[in-house]
Amino acid sequence: MRHRILALAAVFALGACGTAEEPKAAAPAELTVWIMDGSVTQDLLKKFETEYEAAHRGIDLDIQIQAWDGIGERVTAALASTDAPDVIEVGNTQVAQYSASGGVTDLSAKVAELKGEDWLPGLAQPGRIDGKQYGIPWYAANRVVVYNKDLFAEAGVKEPPKTRDEWLEITEKLNQGGNQGIYLTGQTWYALAGFIWDEGGDLAVQEGGGWKGALDTPQALAGMDFYRRLQALGKGPKDADEANPPQHEVFAQGKVAQIIAVPGIAARVLEVDPKLKDKLGFFPIPGKTADKPGAVFTGGSDLIIPAASQRQEEAYELVKALAGEQFQTELAKAMSFVPNRTSLAGVLSGDEGTAAMAKGAAHGRATPNTPNWAAVEATSVIKQYMTAVLTGGDPAAEAKKVSEAITTTLNSGS
Amino acid sequence: MRTRSRSLWPYLLIAPTVAGGAFLLLYPLLKAAVISFQHFRMGELIRGGAAFAGLENYAELLSGAEFWQVLLRTLVWTVINVVLIVVLGTGVALMLPRLRRGLRLALMSALALAWATPIIAATTVFQWLFQSELGVVNWLLVTLGLDSFRGYTWFADGTATFAVLVVLVVWQSVPFAALTLYAGLTTIPVELFESARIDGGTGRQVFTKVTFPMLRQLFALVASLEVIWVAKCFPQIWVLSQGGPDDATTTLPVYAFKIARVLHRYDLGSAVAMLTVVILAVALISNLRRMVRT
Amino acid sequence: MKRLLLNAAAVVVFAVTIFPVYWMFLTAFKPTRDIQADTPTFWPTAPTLDHFITAVNAPGFWTYWRNSLLVTAAAVLIALVVALLAAFAVSRMRWRGRGAFVVAVFAAQMAPWEALLVPVFIIARDTDLLDSLAMLTGVYFMITLPFTIVTLRGFLAAIPLELEEAAQVDGCSRPAAFRRVVFPLLAPGLMATSLFGFITAWNEFAFVNVLIIKDQDKRTLPVWLSSFRDVFGTDWGATMAAASLFALPVLLLFLFLQRSVGTGMTAGAVKG
Repeated sequence: MRHRILALAAVFALGACGTAEEPKAAAPAELTVWIMDGSVTQDLLKKFETEYEAAHRGIDLDIQIQAWDGIGERVTAALASTDAPDVIEVGNTQVAQYSASGGVTDLSAKVAELKGEDWLPGLAQPGRIDGKQYGIPWYAANRVVVYNKDLFAEAGVKEPPKTRDEWLEITEKLNQGGNQGIYLTGQTWYALAGFIWDEGGDLAVQEGGGWKGALDTPQALAGMDFYRRLQALGKGPKDADEANPPQHEVFAQGKVAQIIAVPGIAARVLEVDPKLKDKLGFFPIPGKTADKPGAVFTGGSDLIIPAASQRQEEAYELVKALAGEQFQTELAKAMSFVPNRTSLAGVLSGDEGTAAMAKGAAHGRATPNTPNWAAVEATSVIKQYMTAVLTGGDPAAEAKKVSEAITTTLNSGS
Repeated sequence: MRTRSRSLWPYLLIAPTVAGGAFLLLYPLLKAAVISFQHFRMGELIRGGAAFAGLENYAELLSGAEFWQVLLRTLVWTVINVVLIVVLGTGVALMLPRLRRGLRLALMSALALAWATPIIAATTVFQWLFQSELGVVNWLLVTLGLDSFRGYTWFADGTATFAVLVVLVVWQSVPFAALTLYAGLTTIPVELFESARIDGGTGRQVFTKVTFPMLRQLFALVASLEVIWVAKCFPQIWVLSQGGPDDATTTLPVYAFKIARVLHRYDLGSAVAMLTVVILAVALISNLRRMVRT
Repeated sequence: MKRLLLNAAAVVVFAVTIFPVYWMFLTAFKPTRDIQADTPTFWPTAPTLDHFITAVNAPGFWTYWRNSLLVTAAAVLIALVVALLAAFAVSRMRWRGRGAFVVAVFAAQMAPWEALLVPVFIIARDTDLLDSLAMLTGVYFMITLPFTIVTLRGFLAAIPLELEEAAQVDGCSRPAAFRRVVFPLLAPGLMATSLFGFITAWNEFAFVNVLIIKDQDKRTLPVWLSSFRDVFGTDWGATMAAASLFALPVLLLFLFLQRSVGTGMTAGAVKG
C-alpha cells in the first residue's frame, strides 16, 4: 500500500534529520489533537491553544475532545487510516497494544530531549516496546481515600489510619447508624491490585516466554480477602464498579464516610453538593505497616503520534509542549494530577488531596506490561471474579478460574 | 394468476437493490471471507500485508469446546426470547383493537415510546433498575414483602443476569412485533371477521381459523426477523455483562466481538462471522423455502 | 367481567412498557443529588432543567443533530423507494431468478454487520470514503434495505390480489390500481418499515465511530449520546436528558405517521 510506504518514509526521514526545517507554508497547518473527555478543563485547553498558536506561527490547533465509549476502536481506526489525527492521548494500560501494532511513530530518539530520565515508570514503561519508546508520558493519578470530615468527627475518629488494621477498625466504627463506613463497590479492581501488590503478589507474572495470571497465588488471595473485609463495611453494590453509579454522586449524599478515588474527584463531589466544600479530607491508602503507605495503581495517559499523521514534525513539537514543564505544572495544578516527571512532583505539595496522592505515588505500580493487558481489562474478568468472591463464591476456585482466563488472554498472539 | 412477462421490468425494479447489495454487502462479505483465511490482526489492519493462513482460523475455532458451548447458549437465548416476544407481541396485537380508543392510544404510545428509546439508554436504565443497592426492582420486591431481595445482586449470578437480559430484550422487541401484527390485523377485511362471528365462531376459533391463516405470512416474517435480531443482539449484552459472569451470557455476537475487537483477532472473528452466517442460513432454510414458494 | 380483565391486562402491559421510559424522563428532570437517593422517588419533587442544558451545550450538539437527521432520512427514504420497487417485482410479477433473489434478500438480513465493520472500514479507507457522510448513508441504507424489502413484500402479499384485479376490471390501469387500492392498504406497512429503518439508522454507533475519524463535524448524535461518561463514571442525569431528546424525533415521526395513516388504520380496525 502506497500510503504506508510514504508514512514509513516520513518516519525514517524524521529519525535521520530530526531538526530539518520545513519550508513555511502559506496556509496554516492544521494539527488535530485527540484529548480524552475529562482529562483537561476547557479553560486550560483554550489557554494552551491560544499560547501555542501565538508561539508557533502557521499552526492551527484543532483540539478534539474524545468520548470514552468506543475509544479503542476509534483509535485503532485512526491508526489504520491514511490521514490520522496528529497527536492522540491514550490510557497507559492501552498504549502498549497500539505501540505493538506498528501504527505509532517511534520517538526513541527524542527521549533525552524530552527529559525522559525521570519520567514516571508507570507511564514510561507501557509506552516502551522492545526498547523503543512510542508513548510519551503525559500525566498520572493514583487513588487515595477521600473522606467526609463530619462523619469522622461524629464517630470520634481523630486521625486518619496509618495501617490496614487501623483502617478496618475505624471503618467499622464509621459504619454505624445510617452511615456507610466506606462505599467500596465490588468491582473496584484498581484498589484490589494495590492490596495484592502490598501482599507481594501480582495480577500476572512473566514466565518463560509467556504470561501467567497470578490471582490464585496465596498473596493475591490475601489481598482479595482484605478487600472483602473492607467492602463489607458499607453498602457498595457487589456487582457494579465505581463508575456505575458514579461513586462521587453517592458520596455527595453525605452518608458515606470514605471512598477510594483519585483526588480530582473532589471537584465532582462539590458539583453535586457545594456544601461539602470544607468537609473533604484525603489520606493515602494505608499499607500493611505504618512506615509505608499502600501500593497503588498508577493510572494515567501517554501521548502518541500515529505513523499515519501527515505532519510528523509539527506533531512532535506539540507533544514536546504538552509534555514540557510549563504545561505539566499547569495541568497538575488544575486537574490534581501527578506530572509526568518525578522532579516536577513539587507542584503537588500545596493541596491536601494531591499531597496525599504524592505520598502514595512513590509506591505506584503499573498493570502487567503486555499489549494484551488491554483485552483483560475490556473483558472485565477481574471484576467478575471479585463479584463472585464477594457474593459467596469459593475464593481459591474462582481465583484459579480467572487466572486461567487471564493466562489465555495474555498469551493470545496479536 | 400472476403475470408472467418476459419483459425487463422486474429486473429493472430490482436493479438498485442488486447494485447496492453488491458494493455494500457482498464486497465486504467477501473481504471478511478472505480475512477469515488470513493471518489478520491489528498489525495487519494498520500496516497491511496479511499472510494466507489456510484453514488455521477455522481449525482453531472448531477444535475448542468454547465455540460449541457458545453456539448452544445462543440457541437457548434465541428460543427463549423469540417465543416470549412472539407470544406477548401477538397478545398485545390482539388486545389493541378490542380496547377503547383512549386506552388503545395510550398503549400504542407506550409501545412506540419503548420502541423509540435508544438501545443504549434503555440498557442503562435497566442496568440501573436492577442495581443491587439503589435499584427500583429490588426496592419494589422488598416493599412487596420479598425480603430476600434486599441488596440482591442480579449481575453476580449467571442465570439472573441472563434473565435480566431476556427481560430487557423482550421489552425492547415486543413493541415491534405487536405494532406490526396489529398493522397486519388492520389489513384483514372486517367482513371476514363478521362472517366468522355470524357462523358462531368463538374468539379462539376466529384466531385459528381466520386471523392466523390470513396473517400466517406475517407471523412467519415477524418470527424469523426476531430470530435474526435476537441471535445477533449485541450492545445490550455487552453493556450489561460483557458476556459474564462466567460466560453465562456470551452469545455468538459477544464471542465474536471479544475475539475481533477486544483481542484484535480480526481473522478469527471473521471465521466466527462466516460460520454464524452458515448456521443461520441452515436454521432458516425451511422458512426460506416457504417464502420462495409463495 | 371479560371487559374488566382485558382492561386490567392492558393497564399492566401499559405500566410495564412505559415505566423504564418514564424513569428515563424522570431522571432527566431530577437534580443530581436526588438521582442516587436511598429510597426512589417516583415524582419530580424539585424538577430542574440543568441536565438538558448540559446535554444541549455539549460540543457538537447541533451539528450532530443535523448530520443524524440528514443521514437517517436519506438512508430511510432511499431504502423505501428501492425496496418498494423490489417488493413489487417480487410479489406481483413472475420472472426467472425471482426465487434466488428472495433467498438472497432474506439471507442479507442475516448479514453479520458487527463483523463487517472491519471490511467496510478497509473498503472506505481504500476508496477514500472515510470521513464521508455519503458512505455512512450508504451503509445505513444497506443495513435497513433487506428488512424493508421483506416486510413490504409481506404486507403486499397480505393484500389480496383480487382487490387489485377488481380495480383493474373496473377500468383502472395497473399503476393506478396499485396507487388507489394497494397503496392505502400498504400504508401501515410503510409506516412500520420506515419507523424501523429510522430507528436502526438513528441509533447506529459502531459504524459512525470508525468511519468518521478526523472530521469531527461529521459525527452523528449517538456519539453525542455516549459522551456524558468519563473516567469518573456516567453522568446519569445528562445521559437521560440526552436520551430523551434523542428519542424525540422517532416519537414525532411515529405520531406524524400515525395520523397520516390513521384513516387507513381505523377503517381496517377490527371491532371486538
